[in-house]
Amino acid sequence: MNFKIWLRSAIALGAVTTLVGTAFAAGTLRYATVGEPPSLDQHVVTSDLSTTIAHHIFEGLYTFDASNSPVGLLATGEAVSDDGKTITITLREGVKFHNGQDMTSADVVASLNRWGEFGSRGGLLFANVESVTSAGDHEVTIRLAEPFGPWKNLLAFINGGPAIYPASVADGAGKEPIAPDSYIGTGPYRFGEWEPNRHVELVRFAGYVSPDGEPDGYGGARVAEFDTLQFIPVPDVGTRVAGLKAGDYDYAESIPGDLYADLDADPSVVTILNGGPIFGLVFTNSKDGPLQENFGLRRAIQTALDKVPALHVAIGPEGLWRANGSFLPEGNVWFTDAGTEHYSMGDVNAARAMAEEAGYGGEPIKFMVSTNYPFHYDTAIVYTRQLAQAGFNIDLQVYDWATLIEKRAQPDQWDMFFTHHGFVPDPILISVMNDNYPGWWTTEEKNALKSKFTESSDPAERQAIWTEIQALIYQQVPTMKTGDVYTYNIASPDLDGLGEATLIWPHFWNVSR
Amino acid sequence: MLNYALNRVLTLVPTLLAASFLVFMFIHLIPGDPASILLGDTATPEEVAELSRELGLDEPLWTQYVLWLGNVLQGDLGTSVFFREPVLSVIADGAETSVLLATMTMFWIVVFGVPIGIISAIRHGSWVDQATSGGAMLFASVPTFWLGLYLILIFSVGLGWFPSSGFPSLADEGGASNLRYLVLPSLTLAAPNAALIIRLIRASMLDVSREDHVRTARAKGLHPVRVAIRHVFRNALIAVSAAFGFTFAALVSEAVVTETVFSLPGIGRLVVQSILRRDYPVIQGVILIIVVFYMAINLLVDLAYASLDPRVSLK
Repeated sequence: MNFKIWLRSAIALGAVTTLVGTAFAAGTLRYATVGEPPSLDQHVVTSDLSTTIAHHIFEGLYTFDASNSPVGLLATGEAVSDDGKTITITLREGVKFHNGQDMTSADVVASLNRWGEFGSRGGLLFANVESVTSAGDHEVTIRLAEPFGPWKNLLAFINGGPAIYPASVADGAGKEPIAPDSYIGTGPYRFGEWEPNRHVELVRFAGYVSPDGEPDGYGGARVAEFDTLQFIPVPDVGTRVAGLKAGDYDYAESIPGDLYADLDADPSVVTILNGGPIFGLVFTNSKDGPLQENFGLRRAIQTALDKVPALHVAIGPEGLWRANGSFLPEGNVWFTDAGTEHYSMGDVNAARAMAEEAGYGGEPIKFMVSTNYPFHYDTAIVYTRQLAQAGFNIDLQVYDWATLIEKRAQPDQWDMFFTHHGFVPDPILISVMNDNYPGWWTTEEKNALKSKFTESSDPAERQAIWTEIQALIYQQVPTMKTGDVYTYNIASPDLDGLGEATLIWPHFWNVSR
Repeated sequence: MLNYALNRVLTLVPTLLAASFLVFMFIHLIPGDPASILLGDTATPEEVAELSRELGLDEPLWTQYVLWLGNVLQGDLGTSVFFREPVLSVIADGAETSVLLATMTMFWIVVFGVPIGIISAIRHGSWVDQATSGGAMLFASVPTFWLGLYLILIFSVGLGWFPSSGFPSLADEGGASNLRYLVLPSLTLAAPNAALIIRLIRASMLDVSREDHVRTARAKGLHPVRVAIRHVFRNALIAVSAAFGFTFAALVSEAVVTETVFSLPGIGRLVVQSILRRDYPVIQGVILIIVVFYMAINLLVDLAYASLDPRVSLK
């Protein structure tokens, strides 16, 4: 008897649960992310996922076109004084914030000041800024102590960059990321809601005032075609792929290289390469331990490494990586082969001789790596093996990412650590250029070249100085580049306007279904 | 019984204090801090220290613990470092998913596990018993991530009957029909757990059926099904009820693999993610609530004993 009741209930529930339809509204783009961003506050956070979401909400004064040159976004133009120390930027008029207010120079001044004091990359520019002042409602003046070449690239790079917030938000904000109810920008989408572990939802901003011009990279006109964008954390890659094929998602990020060949051939999926490659970096410790100041020993390590097998193992198909020793990729204005003859020598015997000459007697070299990023770990395993063959005593220390970040801040805890770097439009943004970044590369030679590099405003001269800096990196080995990695995402074939590759982060204005 | 329940609730207090202290200290012993996770790879130690100060993480551990405990006693579990939302609302959000998922899983276990367990006990030794026991072993051994991905491939990608992943709240658009998001994950979770319940029911019923009162019932000429349900199953239920209670508690708090595969915003995933992000307030809050939840389930199981077995008295 009881069994009958169970059976009846089972049938009833079955009936309810088969009432299935495609649930989401026609105007929603559903993006499967690998996790959740730490915050959408672009001033202080440098997570790429954060920018992928936030650059629909927030805009800066400048952005990048398809050739990675800075073009106006909230700015319409600028005048630079002859001595290069005064920059006057004109703002686009009629731009509205998501709270309905007009954007004026007061908002820009407040945002730049907050970014300069607390922003992740603000210090690079603001170490050299004397003042930022308003010169009328739609004009802002930046006064520099010395001419500073990369200013426009820094203002255009929204990741950890100077997004323009209303003065009411920027004024009180410190180092702590601003709260979601203060996510007010000028972008084509406004912040809707953030349901922890469920989604971040953006809603089309009806009052959006777009810049003019043909869309070109992130520049030109922006049209929000979707009503809403949902960024949904789907941590399991199998589920991201299956969910996209089942039509539950329109776009899914961070798909492993192993699946590339199959997905590329699958007509139900479009693969989209990320145009700006990321690259692995192995930093060496300039403050403590056997590698401190011992450039000969560092060069011995560099000589032992053959980067290609590690890229094969860690990334997979050859279309997704390039064994490129230049810090910026081929085709970019900053590409140079200076020093790259040392990039991937894989010469075990030479390395052994060089290590001996540098006075290495088999002391353990602590090499920290995290398992949070599989390609870090896979690469480090290959390198450890190669280094062991050249006679190095590598003490591989495996941690979770949070632990690694804490340990690398302590110079006595490590000799080398593995991390990766996102694509940046100006070499000044590469972490090894930052004197405070763990590794703490601050030799006289570097400092001299770095000041020349930042003081020059002439593009050709800056490129020539960068060539010297890259050559110096291969001589002093503060870091070793592993190679360019082109990550890729997958999308539904129904989406129009995506292009074949993203510039840096995917964007969904001018994209429709 | 009321006195008993009150007493049990009072004994929770020292256990909770001890648990909260241990959790607090252990979580702060792990290297890493939320400030460096929030600020990312390019942050300098000075910037991390500045944010730690703003977040109140530079106070001595004791001070932090006492402040936290004081707030907890006033019902305030703090604010998530990561989400910038009250911990209680973050947990409530995860709890909705986890409790619904666990309930639906228990439903499948009762619908499939209990009758199969009874049948294989009644027909023990027969081919039916062999088949169900073998099937139960198979499902108990299949890893949940494998089963989950196959269910997605068949029922979402192939047949398109159910969504592959995610779970919108019942309060969101779609209402109760959003429960369809939980069908595949609950079946995934039910498979190994139902298998265990089947084995447990079968074993307990076989034990009880050898007792005198069962022989008497059969001798009186009662219908075999009536004997099995009324006399054998009812008595076997005492052992099984404890297993039900703890299975339910474990389903709420430990379904992390299934939640990850199906991308469900549940409690298990919340804890694991919060540990990776070092979101101390959330970790502390969730663990505190899980401890309370286990204790409540324990209490309910004991109370259920009393109502199922007249020989048990609670004092």
